[in-house]
Amino acid sequence: MHRIVVDAMGGDHAPEEIVHGAAEASLALTSAEIILVGDAAELGRLLPRMRHDGARVRVHHAPTFVEMDEKPAEALAAKPESSIAVAADLVARGEGDALVSAGNTGASVLACARRWTLLQGVRRAALAAVYPTELRRGEKDDPFSLILDVGATIDASADDLVGFAVMGSAYAKLVSQNRRPRVALLSNGTEPGKGPASVVAAHAALVETTELNFIGNIEGLDIPRGVADVVVTSGFVGNVVLKMLEGVSETVVRLARYAHKERLAWRLGLIALSSAIDQLKMITDWQQYGGAPLLGFTHPFIKAHGRSNAHAVTNAIKVAHKALAGNLCGNIARTMAELDERASRRPRTADGSESGAP
Amino acid sequence: MLGRLGRMATLPSRLGQRIGLFDHVPEGLPAGSSPPRHTFRWDLDKTYLRTEFDSIGDLVRSAIETAADKQAYPGATALLRALRQDDHRICIVSGSPTQMRQVLAAKLALDGVDYDEFVLKNNLKNLLRGRFRSLRAQIPYKLPAMLQSRIGAAAEHETLFGDDAEADAIIYCLYADLVAERVSLQDLERVLIASRAYDDDALRILDLARRVPKHDAVNRLFIHLDRRSAPVGFRHYGPRLVPVFNYFQAALVLYGDHVLSARQVIFVALEMIDSGQFEVGHLATSVQDVIRRGRITRELALQLAAEAHEAARSGALSGRNDLPPFEQIAESFRERVRELGPTEPYQFESTAPLDYVRLVDQEHEHRRTRRRRGAH
Repeated sequence: MHRIVVDAMGGDHAPEEIVHGAAEASLALTSAEIILVGDAAELGRLLPRMRHDGARVRVHHAPTFVEMDEKPAEALAAKPESSIAVAADLVARGEGDALVSAGNTGASVLACARRWTLLQGVRRAALAAVYPTELRRGEKDDPFSLILDVGATIDASADDLVGFAVMGSAYAKLVSQNRRPRVALLSNGTEPGKGPASVVAAHAALVETTELNFIGNIEGLDIPRGVADVVVTSGFVGNVVLKMLEGVSETVVRLARYAHKERLAWRLGLIALSSAIDQLKMITDWQQYGGAPLLGFTHPFIKAHGRSNAHAVTNAIKVAHKALAGNLCGNIARTMAELDERASRRPRTADGSESGAP
Repeated sequence: MLGRLGRMATLPSRLGQRIGLFDHVPEGLPAGSSPPRHTFRWDLDKTYLRTEFDSIGDLVRSAIETAADKQAYPGATALLRALRQDDHRICIVSGSPTQMRQVLAAKLALDGVDYDEFVLKNNLKNLLRGRFRSLRAQIPYKLPAMLQSRIGAAAEHETLFGDDAEADAIIYCLYADLVAERVSLQDLERVLIASRAYDDDALRILDLARRVPKHDAVNRLFIHLDRRSAPVGFRHYGPRLVPVFNYFQAALVLYGDHVLSARQVIFVALEMIDSGQFEVGHLATSVQDVIRRGRITRELALQLAAEAHEAARSGALSGRNDLPPFEQIAESFRERVRELGPTEPYQFESTAPLDYVRLVDQEHEHRRTRRRRGAH
């Protein structure tokens, strides 16, 4: 039985939508137990209003919670019994197997980083995000590509980027049912020598790997095209890219609304396209995807969107369950160990660095 | 010789009952015997037996299943056996057709469930008489069956078990309020009109209601949440009606009611674990759920953990090497209680007397909605 801990108080629509999503998940996932962490009295009032399985959803009391706009470090220091801290603690103590939260991203990542241990061979955890692309992938025709890191840390060394590639590939294999995800490094040119030193060195190392389907470097414009299934970059760049992509999407929607108001002919055109737009919206709906993972720790953490409704929360819980059932963390650790072993067999230069890596 | 002749004389009646031509009238208590202390009334489909009625295919499958194919819900058999002890009376009233008596009786025999009454619905008779409304009707069928049964053997206490698929909650509460004289015959007549009972059926039910021994006997009604309905949907029926997700929860409440001992609760739990559908963690979570819903107190849960521990020490779990040490199980129960923190126990609001006519109308509307959506 997989025990999935859910921060019931995190998110714009918490706790109602979170509890509702967890209740739905308890009906869909018969091999899982869901542990809702939050105000027990409030959660106890909400649960009986929803269809659920009372033998598979339990409540763990946490008296406080971190608000969405609070500063993560300060909030966690001031509220050691906040729902996200208690939830991360439960997993750290082995009383849960995975964590799902739609709450404050910084506080969630920090709570996990402070309590959980990294997988052997992983130097840094990475927060991944999904982005809808033109090309689809995997057995499920998944329209989302994975970008990591999008902000768990600022900078990343070549080894960190290789680690991110391994983690992203393992996740895409499992969640998108993509047997051989195409992994690429984000750079300012497709040539191997383009980009900062860490990217060039990571390129050299990834070319050597046989475990990954590394396709080389891609540029920013290749992300929405879907050239790669897993886009690897540092947290700083990833965060900027993600925010920019989101900004562009929002602007397009605003422009469409403007067009709808402005001229009758444009309005008619949009109405004619409405079913196609609806279909596009359905395909690219982040609520279908559920959440994005924090990868690299010994337990999966799925960060659901702050605006998550019940459906998105259910899907995030299902993703966490899939990560546990497919032994995501074990697969990452195994690939990292294989890479480490190969690296240890590689001849070393006089200064001790591996030959082939700058 | 006389015995053989007697058996032969009852043959047409038994054959008639088997094919559904005659009604099976439950036998009351033998003359001179004292009334039972406690009667437990059980529905069968979706309450004791896992039955799917959602499609025609399900109905056909259910009709042709053998006794060995039929599945009881985990814990239900152990609970029924536990309730049967101390000469308590077990009465089964099911909406299944009388033609299924043989296979259902065989299933109960296979499970080792002993019962005093077993009433099934004579839909062949309804069909032959052109009474199509009666085919689906619940209140005009179950209510008189229960009243008739109580007239035959009036217990001091009664506990009823039904499910969330049909009108069980309404029928059981109506029955409880009728025998407690909280519902007048005039009100019952209005309910029967709302439930579209045929006139002669309504007259018969009113007569039974007049004759039934009156006493506030129904202490507890359990609704098995087979459809996983939201428990809050049953709140207006008051604290006597307990929606349960599984039979361990029912056993916990009955332990609180002093009907079952800790040892009997353990046997229900063991049967659920043996089914492979429940682990110790699920049972512990089920305990927490009934505490959160105010159905048992934390103190009672802790008392059960302590008593069950004692029972285990005395050998109730001997030979169960497949289970974790009982101290560990008891600790997981205590842990679930602690997890709730310092929350106040749930307080039931006082509920208004039930408006059965409105409830029946609502139930009909729900049924129509479900039919429109293509489900039964």
